[in-house]
Amino acid sequence: MADPKRPRAPFAPWDRRELPGIFSVEESARRVGNYKWIEMRLFEVLGGWVATVPELDVKMRLGTHCYHHAWHAELWHKRLPELREMNPDRLTLPPNDELVAFVDAMTEPEAPELTIEKLVGAYRVLIPHKIAAYTYHLNNTSTITDAPTIRSLKFILQDEFDDWRDGEMLLQSLIDSPEDVERAAAHQAKLEKLMLAAGGIVGPGTLGHADGSGNHSGASPQEATT
Amino acid sequence: MRKSFPAEDLARDERFVRVPLTARMADARQVPREATGKRRNGGRLTPDRPDSPEAARVLMHGIFTGEIQALEGAGRTCWDFNVENTAKRKGADDDASSSDAPEVPFALKLDMARQCWDEARHTEISIKLGEHMGTEIGEFAEATFLYEAACNPDPVLRLTGVNRALEGLAIDVFNTMREFGDVSGDPVLEFCEDWMLADEVTHVKMGSDWLRRLTEKDPERRERALEFQRVVDRLFSLGGFRGEEEDSPIRLARRFRELAGFDTTEIDELAGDALAARQEAEEMIRQNRQAAAAATAGQ
Repeated sequence: MADPKRPRAPFAPWDRRELPGIFSVEESARRVGNYKWIEMRLFEVLGGWVATVPELDVKMRLGTHCYHHAWHAELWHKRLPELREMNPDRLTLPPNDELVAFVDAMTEPEAPELTIEKLVGAYRVLIPHKIAAYTYHLNNTSTITDAPTIRSLKFILQDEFDDWRDGEMLLQSLIDSPEDVERAAAHQAKLEKLMLAAGGIVGPGTLGHADGSGNHSGASPQEATT
Repeated sequence: MRKSFPAEDLARDERFVRVPLTARMADARQVPREATGKRRNGGRLTPDRPDSPEAARVLMHGIFTGEIQALEGAGRTCWDFNVENTAKRKGADDDASSSDAPEVPFALKLDMARQCWDEARHTEISIKLGEHMGTEIGEFAEATFLYEAACNPDPVLRLTGVNRALEGLAIDVFNTMREFGDVSGDPVLEFCEDWMLADEVTHVKMGSDWLRRLTEKDPERRERALEFQRVVDRLFSLGGFRGEEEDSPIRLARRFRELAGFDTTEIDELAGDALAARQEAEEMIRQNRQAAAAATAGQ
């Protein structure tokens, strides 16, 4: 057995975590507040749609996924006070009015013959944008200082990928004519334009900026970490 | 999408047949059964009853449609109400229909979302159990009174009506089915009902907890909610469908109700209402028999 008194490196050779990250505490809190807001809107509408879809398999999937996104909202709600935001409701906001317009359009379909539009909004537009935003956050935050957010992001991304796959497979099984393909594509294009105007689920800079900075306020990575 | 979604608009595929409660009560085929003096609900579900396989399948299908409606009701509660503290701020709640909606705590919505998942799972279980028992989707008619209780615009009344009255009924039903699975030697039925029973106790407890928390400073609202619960409870005790007697089709599950936050007084009251409903039904049967005998004598 190795001598227990012998000094060991505090970080094992396989532990490649680093201190730098591009998000300040404030920017992390702002993003997390936006995440909570969009997760709430998603779980609410999935729950509301359950009664409106006649397809039994879709009905049950929506009920299951409703809870996944509610749980994500709860994780973000609990993270906010840890990011010095003692009133979590204050930051539970959309990033801008354009994202509100997107959510309004996504949640509009109600009629029983509009299952394709409902699923397109959730599974071909919003969830892929959430996966992108969460992945960007995961890949750019400090792997040491922001470990709690990373842990939540990993759990959440697992759900998002699983739910996206479920939704996409349901859509593929529902789309059975060229007209349906066009319907789905038209609705997706309409919603994508609204999402484009919003700049993503946390607004412009959701996936960073062309100059390589990731901070919404335009601060450089160095500024954000100091 | 609208806030508040009426029962008549519930979306179903073509296999489902919906029968309004009034039509069901007016069904002429029910009259001869009452006239014979037999219990309208067939009595306790036991394997020695010749009709027990059919009765169990009917009940299973009723559980299945009830689970769909419970899923839909919990889902609507996620959508129909605004979240406290965020409703009046910039966001999706700015439109007129949303801002008029009542507010509920964030945690209540999380509970309802959790219930959505549970009810979706129960629907899956019920479909599988239905196949196991030899029935199929749409074989029996669907009544929508469960969902109707989930349409109450007051979230406290909705939670009390659904989570305490209807989910309380589910405790009684699942316990009855679990026992039937045990005595009839069906371990699959017993196993599944036991798991669903665990979830239902959780749902009823949610209802009990939210009733207490949301009406802590509003005893009048609490009383209105409990009265709504009593109305729903009485509906499901009609004709002695549920009770504590040995031959009640659905037996009150006292122990599980206590776990879910019911006190002894409440359970006693429920048992009393059920007994009164049974006595009313028996009196009706007696009068029907007399009328039938008189009609026969007059011919």
